Amino acid sequence: MDQTPLIRLADVSKVYHLESGDFTALNHVTLDIAENEFVAIMGPSGSGKSTMMNQLGILDVPSSGKLFIDGKDIAKITPLERTHMRRDVIGYIFQKFYLIPLLSAYENVEYPLILKYKKRDTTGKAAAVLKSVGFDEEMSSHRPNQLSGGQQQRVAIARALVNEPKILLCDEPTGNLDRKTGFQIMDILTGLHKEGKTVILVTHDPKIAEYAHRTIELEDGRVVPT
Amino acid sequence: MRDIFFDLSVRSVRLNFLRSILASIGIVIGVVAISSMGMLGANMQLSVKQQLSSDVNTIMISSDVVRTTSTAGVPATSQGIDKSTLNDITNAAGQNQVIPIHRTNTQFTIGSTDGRGSIYGLNPNDITKFLTIAQGENLKGGDDALVGPNIASNFNMNIGSRIKIGQNNVSVTRPSVRVVGILAARGFASDGINTDNAIIVPDTWYTDHYGDKDVYDQVNVILQNIDTINQTEAAIDDKVNRRTEVVRISDASSRLSSISSTLGTITTFILAIGSISLVVAAVSIFNVMMMSVNERIQEIGILLSIGTEKSEVRRMFLYEAFILGIIGAGVGGIASLVIGYSVVSAMIGNTTYFFLPESILYVPYGMIIGVVVCVVSGLYPAWRASNMDPIDALRNE
Repeated sequence: MDQTPLIRLADVSKVYHLESGDFTALNHVTLDIAENEFVAIMGPSGSGKSTMMNQLGILDVPSSGKLFIDGKDIAKITPLERTHMRRDVIGYIFQKFYLIPLLSAYENVEYPLILKYKKRDTTGKAAAVLKSVGFDEEMSSHRPNQLSGGQQQRVAIARALVNEPKILLCDEPTGNLDRKTGFQIMDILTGLHKEGKTVILVTHDPKIAEYAHRTIELEDGRVVPT
Repeated sequence: MRDIFFDLSVRSVRLNFLRSILASIGIVIGVVAISSMGMLGANMQLSVKQQLSSDVNTIMISSDVVRTTSTAGVPATSQGIDKSTLNDITNAAGQNQVIPIHRTNTQFTIGSTDGRGSIYGLNPNDITKFLTIAQGENLKGGDDALVGPNIASNFNMNIGSRIKIGQNNVSVTRPSVRVVGILAARGFASDGINTDNAIIVPDTWYTDHYGDKDVYDQVNVILQNIDTINQTEAAIDDKVNRRTEVVRISDASSRLSSISSTLGTITTFILAIGSISLVVAAVSIFNVMMMSVNERIQEIGILLSIGTEKSEVRRMFLYEAFILGIIGAGVGGIASLVIGYSVVSAMIGNTTYFFLPESILYVPYGMIIGVVVCVVSGLYPAWRASNMDPIDALRNE
């Protein structure tokens, strides 16, 4: 018998009910992603990339079909369990970094640990993870708006990693960075993949997509067969 | 180490310092309004109670004046309380002080000025039990007299002045008394002994000149313990009015309680006016909290998307409302003490009761109400923040 892959989409559709009528953002998508894959999801705007990211990030539930992540049927678990999965199973890396503006770089990385263990981190883990992504320790008390884009994205990666999630979900992680910094970030992601993370990358940029081992093309809410 | 959500709230308040302070000023005003108005009311009640209750522990017994007469045109008259009734009262009163009182109205002359007032005949030993001599000394007997402060000042009396008692009539030689002391002001006394415009003479002098020996116009019983008022009244009633209504028994406690309840109503009313300002404050806190939520939609989206529980987001915003409340209540509490003290001393002129628990407790009450109002005002904004859709919230710029 097949072992269930880390992520399985079985005939997943997502329909938005708009005033102008129903809009099908994902149209009967079936897809497996195994543990420790490095997958790029590509497609023009409006192809359903964002909707796919929201599904994989457990920020939303399918309108129909089944979505399994880490063995759990996402539609069947409680909202609180979904919240805990976002905290423990998935690390998010966004194009706009989305750091918490009122927290310092260090606190941004410590934050998911606080969510998980309900107390401030005393193990030094947050600092260690920050260091592992090449963040300058001296700037750890800086607020996000005092950091460069590259530094912010390193903090965001450290934040995504600190609870040791199985999946790294990266939405245009280099989109707001210059080319050189972008490649540095991609090198970090490649290293994390080598350490065993499942990396899912959404991008426009074919050069960035080249880092992935498998590319999934979306068009009009469907997976384009390769 | 501190809760990170508390830190976030503190930083948010600090980031929007001016706005937060302005919103807190509403709470400051609200807390000051209810605390100082509450204190004003409490001090008013306490000082009125004190004034009234100095002689509220007195039972007044007078002859039952309501008598039917068989002869038309003859007015109902009081017979007075006789010796045997007085004995019954004394027996029924037990350990309490029994004070028999003679009283009538009289004309008198001081120097060449005529006047009119009450004259009381009292046993000199009884006088200091309920009256205060402000100047001079107590009666010793003979033709000694005490005068009330109003008479003393109106007629320019001093210790040693002589008062002729009775109607000014050249053909009659009137008896005279010598002022040995002047009483302290009593105001409107609830034991029925209004001495401010009266002359007090020894009971022997009174009965020598007015007759009425062993017949008293009023008997007062001064209780050692106010709580025994009902049982003492019942005992007297039982003993004296056994067969027929001989005496009427009354006390000032019912009047005191009705005045207290009126003052209580006034206090509640001014507190209600004060709490209007808290309602206004609640609206401004609500407004600031909604602004805080609306400005931080994207941040809320980040928090929710990376796995923050709804209750944690709610907590963060409730902390923020709580901080505004604590700032407002803290400043308001201090201001209440200052303003409350000034208002009480200006309006009542007496701050003796200000630091008594009945009065000063309005400060912590006001502060707690201020904080509660803030947190309640933050409930909806916090609920709204925690129930945002993370996807929509993240998209918000």
